[in-house]
Amino acid sequence: MIRIFTLDEFDPALIKALTKSLYTAFGVGSEHSGAVTVPHGQQEPYDANKLLDAMPKLQALADDKVLFLTSRKLAPRKLVSGEAPTLGLSRYGQQRAVVTTATIKNVADNVKLLARYAMQEVGHTYGLHHCLDPRCAMYPQWTPSYALGEASFCTYCRDSSDAKIRTTKS
Amino acid sequence: MPDMTSLSVGDRLVYPNQGLCSVTEIKTEEIAGQKLTFVSLVIIETGAKVKVPREKLEKNGVRRVSTADDVKKVVDYLKSDSEKASLDWKKRARENTARLSEGGLLGLAEVVKGLQVLSELRPLPPKERELYNDARHLFVEELSAAMGVHQADAEDAFDILLFVPGRDRPKRTAEEFAGLAGEEDELGLEGDLIGIDGGEEPETPESEVEKAEEGESEGEGEDEEAPKKKPAKAAAPPAAAKAPKGKKTLISDVEVTMPATLALTENLPKKRGRPPKPKPAVAEPPPPPKKRGRPPKAK
Repeated sequence: MIRIFTLDEFDPALIKALTKSLYTAFGVGSEHSGAVTVPHGQQEPYDANKLLDAMPKLQALADDKVLFLTSRKLAPRKLVSGEAPTLGLSRYGQQRAVVTTATIKNVADNVKLLARYAMQEVGHTYGLHHCLDPRCAMYPQWTPSYALGEASFCTYCRDSSDAKIRTTKS
Repeated sequence: MPDMTSLSVGDRLVYPNQGLCSVTEIKTEEIAGQKLTFVSLVIIETGAKVKVPREKLEKNGVRRVSTADDVKKVVDYLKSDSEKASLDWKKRARENTARLSEGGLLGLAEVVKGLQVLSELRPLPPKERELYNDARHLFVEELSAAMGVHQADAEDAFDILLFVPGRDRPKRTAEEFAGLAGEEDELGLEGDLIGIDGGEEPETPESEVEKAEEGESEGEGEDEEAPKKKPAKAAAPPAAAKAPKGKKTLISDVEVTMPATLALTENLPKKRGRPPKPKPAVAEPPPPPKKRGRPPKAK
């Protein structure tokens, strides 16, 4: 099950469309599990790593994935090779991921792009890496062609995610 | 190669093609009268347990996790525009396998970057796509351990060099890889040596295979037309392939003593069945026709 927790207010139709996209992409249940408040001490733009560490423990099964959705900005991460744009972040092979809608213009009309961001972060939690195919949702998000793709995986990533989901089912 | 003799429980090592592992036990055991020191390892990702004699650690390619200096070298390497994978799939597969098992962190980076640059020329075949993913996984895992960061940060750290933010990947042309291709096939023997060294045969597109099969089936029963349909390669096979077993080919003698036309006719396939009878040069007059009926009675 993919559980979506909202950190800010969102249009229910948007959340419904997002859950539908995630269900189609991964073939596992997806639902809006409620709203949570950001822990004290977090300021916009959020540090995505600190935010994921600071979020309270939520009711979820071992193979559930938790996706936090926020409309606030996430600060770019400073890495050894430069600054990485942060549109979302996840813990590889673990449970938690966060996605922001701050960089998407007119989110209500652009659910497809939000679904692609969410698919990538949830895909990372299933152990998928970045893909070489620009049409795939696992392609790096900061490339210009990313926004043009559909909310779907390439054949290789779809097969990989299917295999991971099968093996992690409790 | 860092020293593997000063291992202690809790140390993190890298097992080639398996990933990060940690030392759980170092124990001396007596086996067949010999005292051997065994190192027990646990692969962190899968939880698999491995028990290796200490002397064989280096031989198996087990090494310590890369240092900050290694990470710096890898970042410099990824920033450079030097890597061009070989266009010869056999050579590429051989190199990548060696890099994965012996190349360390830089070897993993070479595999990832090489295949990524190649994918800018043409899509990777499924096996190489799998190899790319495996190499990327091992690379991210070790890089995150070396840098002390989460895997997401480690992957993004090198992906912002491979997929530059705000820019799409460039389209590569075959000319950029041409230098490497020329080195490989200097003698032009690549096609002739297929199968001789015991290697696998090159991948043939299914459509070509089907066409070849169709050609063979059509050729059956049309013995005279069959040789015409064979490709040019069959018309002039290498001398060693033509020679029967146990006999030497005397190509030079044929060339010297035979006229060119005869030498060419020698190569044509023989017709089946009994050879036709030789016709006489001048036709003899036909014998006089016999008279019909009973011969006259003798008087």
